[in-house]
Amino acid sequence: MSETGASEMSVIDDAEQRGRTDLWPFWRRLYAQGDPLPRLTCTVSRPSYRFDEKEPLPEEYKGLLLRMLRHEGERAGNKSFLGLMASCLDLAETLFPTAEAKLLKAEYLAEELKHGIMFHRLAVGLDRSFALCDVPYAHYAFHLPRETWADDAMFHFFVDLNGAFHSRDWRESSYVPLQKMAATVERDEVGHSEMGYHFLQQICAEARGRALAQHLLTKWYAAALDMFGRSDSPNVPKFIHWGLKSVGNAEIRQAYKAYVDRKIEALGLDVPDERQNRRFL
Amino acid sequence: MSAIVEEIRSAYGAVGITLDHPATYGTYYRLLCAGCGRIVGNVGDKLLPGMAAALVDQQFELYAAGLVGCACGHQQEQTRALDAGRWQAARERYGASG
Repeated sequence: MSETGASEMSVIDDAEQRGRTDLWPFWRRLYAQGDPLPRLTCTVSRPSYRFDEKEPLPEEYKGLLLRMLRHEGERAGNKSFLGLMASCLDLAETLFPTAEAKLLKAEYLAEELKHGIMFHRLAVGLDRSFALCDVPYAHYAFHLPRETWADDAMFHFFVDLNGAFHSRDWRESSYVPLQKMAATVERDEVGHSEMGYHFLQQICAEARGRALAQHLLTKWYAAALDMFGRSDSPNVPKFIHWGLKSVGNAEIRQAYKAYVDRKIEALGLDVPDERQNRRFL
Repeated sequence: MSAIVEEIRSAYGAVGITLDHPATYGTYYRLLCAGCGRIVGNVGDKLLPGMAAALVDQQFELYAAGLVGCACGHQQEQTRALDAGRWQAARERYGASG
């Protein structure tokens, strides 16, 4: 990293340090006990690729990497990402239950915008034309209506955790710039999920809130499992071959499911049938 | 206006919620209470066909019991007008007063 780059990051680190409270960042308590997310181990034989920025990339590799990053979406130059963040701001301003919750959402937004900068740098290093490319979130999970604080809490608990699981896998990525930032993104996304879970714990502390959360689970649980895509996706073996993924959609979905099921039960809620309302099996 | 957005508008219209103009960059829409105009949430335009109506119908009980919807009570009134029996059952189930 250049001197200027290092200096920029230390300024961001300093800003984050000053934002710490007893609660924020939520990842602290989890990581103090070790890695919260399971390692996703590749079980098929494949070559050991490793590509760094500015190295020529095989055409298929670059295409798959760009596809993955389009799907990820957290880039400063992606208008749709900024639109999603604006929708989070709207909810924080209008549905917040407490001043503390509102401030936590502000910390969340700041951290997501940090990711926007990190992925912007990665995009510029990979393909300059990608830096200002608008890619609307295609999956319906990003478009589900959020009409209560409980909806918003579930959005964070489930959807940010999806990002955390993918980031966990990127710790082993063959693309060095992505591998380098993976641990930070994973940790932050786990924290965002934990923020949602914190709100759900508060909501589920009383009977009407628990009933609301149980009802809304039918909407969010199916979407969360659907986010990993079809189990028979034809592109997955290519991603695995090139070292861009370690496991298939079914395997990462199962690891995710095991994680969220434990946490749903800890809230005193019933885990929905995993096939109910599903669109992508 | 896409067919999905029209589906969303129609589904929410039934329970007294209107779709605002698209918010930042066009993908997301604010949901406004048709009774008082307050923001009650938001929704994106990439729901799957048929999904908006199903989601709103699944939430009928929540609107009826006041667990979801505007504090002014407009969605409670709308759901009562749509199906008084279902409305009453939902309120008993979720412990809503009145």
